[in-house]
Amino acid sequence: MTARFSYAAPTRREELFALLAEHGAGARVLAGGTDLLGDVRSGLARPAMVVDVKRVDGYADLAWSAQEGLLIGPAVTINEVLLSPRVRQSYPLLVACAQDLASHQIRNRATVIGNVANASPCADMSPALLCLGATVVLSSRDGSREVPVTDFFTGAKRTVLAPGELLERIVIPPEAAGSRGSYRKLKRIKGHDLGIVGVAASSKDGALRLGISSCAATPLLVEGLSVQDPADDVVAAAQAAISPISDVRCTKEYRTHMVGVYVRRALREVA
Amino acid sequence: MRVSVTVNGHAFERDVEEHWTLLRLLREGLGMTGSKEGCGAGECGACTVDLNGKTVNSCLVLAVEADGGRVATVEGEADHGRLSQIQAAFARNHAVQCGFCTGGMVMSVRDLLTRNPKPTVEEIKEGIEGNFCRCTGYEQIVEAVLDASGQLNASTKGALRYV
Repeated sequence: MTARFSYAAPTRREELFALLAEHGAGARVLAGGTDLLGDVRSGLARPAMVVDVKRVDGYADLAWSAQEGLLIGPAVTINEVLLSPRVRQSYPLLVACAQDLASHQIRNRATVIGNVANASPCADMSPALLCLGATVVLSSRDGSREVPVTDFFTGAKRTVLAPGELLERIVIPPEAAGSRGSYRKLKRIKGHDLGIVGVAASSKDGALRLGISSCAATPLLVEGLSVQDPADDVVAAAQAAISPISDVRCTKEYRTHMVGVYVRRALREVA
Repeated sequence: MRVSVTVNGHAFERDVEEHWTLLRLLREGLGMTGSKEGCGAGECGACTVDLNGKTVNSCLVLAVEADGGRVATVEGEADHGRLSQIQAAFARNHAVQCGFCTGGMVMSVRDLLTRNPKPTVEEIKEGIEGNFCRCTGYEQIVEAVLDASGQLNASTKGALRYV
């Protein structure tokens, strides 16, 4: 890595937000680093200041309460979610998505918040958060705001995050606990690979929600469905919601077809 | 910045640039070249080391992030020239061809066997999914892991077929 940058690892929130405000768009947040350091190396990211958030007090917390639900901090890794007994018990869809994300080494570093905040259309955790009705808390020196995850993504790798702002917490509501979940991801190989099409499904009390990745500029939510609906209708709803492109990995026609195949498979697992 | 790390039980202090990776610190700062840079992007796993009890791609960790940390590398495997159980199993089963992936592969296998002392073939494949062998010697590597975990016998040896 040849690009130079300054590095800070604040331990207090105030210190962190002062740094982010001071450096604005020149600052990049470092959590797991599995996206950022690759982007720095390839020249896609040229930060003047890299702000490591892992040492901030409380940021490694993964907490659950019956009132608030599941709270995920910025330093919580994919493997910590994957191995959490509480998550395994209450939010199996998070486990299914986490399991399919990259390799063990990457899961040891990559964070849930980083995966969502970087807003790749093929991010594995975003479909789960859409299905589970998550809220994201965006914080800066000037305070915090809560945004439903459905309103967070604005385009490929684009979000409503402003310079100086950090995705500080993911909140998964207690109402979503106990829902059944399935994640089906089409890859070139069985091992770690980016998704060509990803379909997450969750069901609770008969209500069915789908989260779809790699089929539009942003991950998509398809709601208002029921596990009683004929599979053909659910497939039609999913295929109507997506706007896939043809790219180096496959054509839009193949993506559209495979969404149908994967919706049917996911449906069988959560119905 | 000045960083302190403990590598394979030995404490080191070095001055590093902020943009240095942990891999560069190991290779250029400490002269430990067993961890390799293959892709530099977290795909190939040749740089796999253990950081604070967890395997990581050291090409995707900044050296400054490892400050105060404990690192284990493939250099910590052999004891005064005596191969570790995993290394010996790799050698016995011809699981080393060009050797470029071996350092990282051994670190992933050590981590897998610590978490799961008797992995199935499927679990072994999952455990090394982040480590590429471009010689594609996976069959021998899986056999070496079966051997290192005391599971290689007439019924498992040579029985692996990748279609």
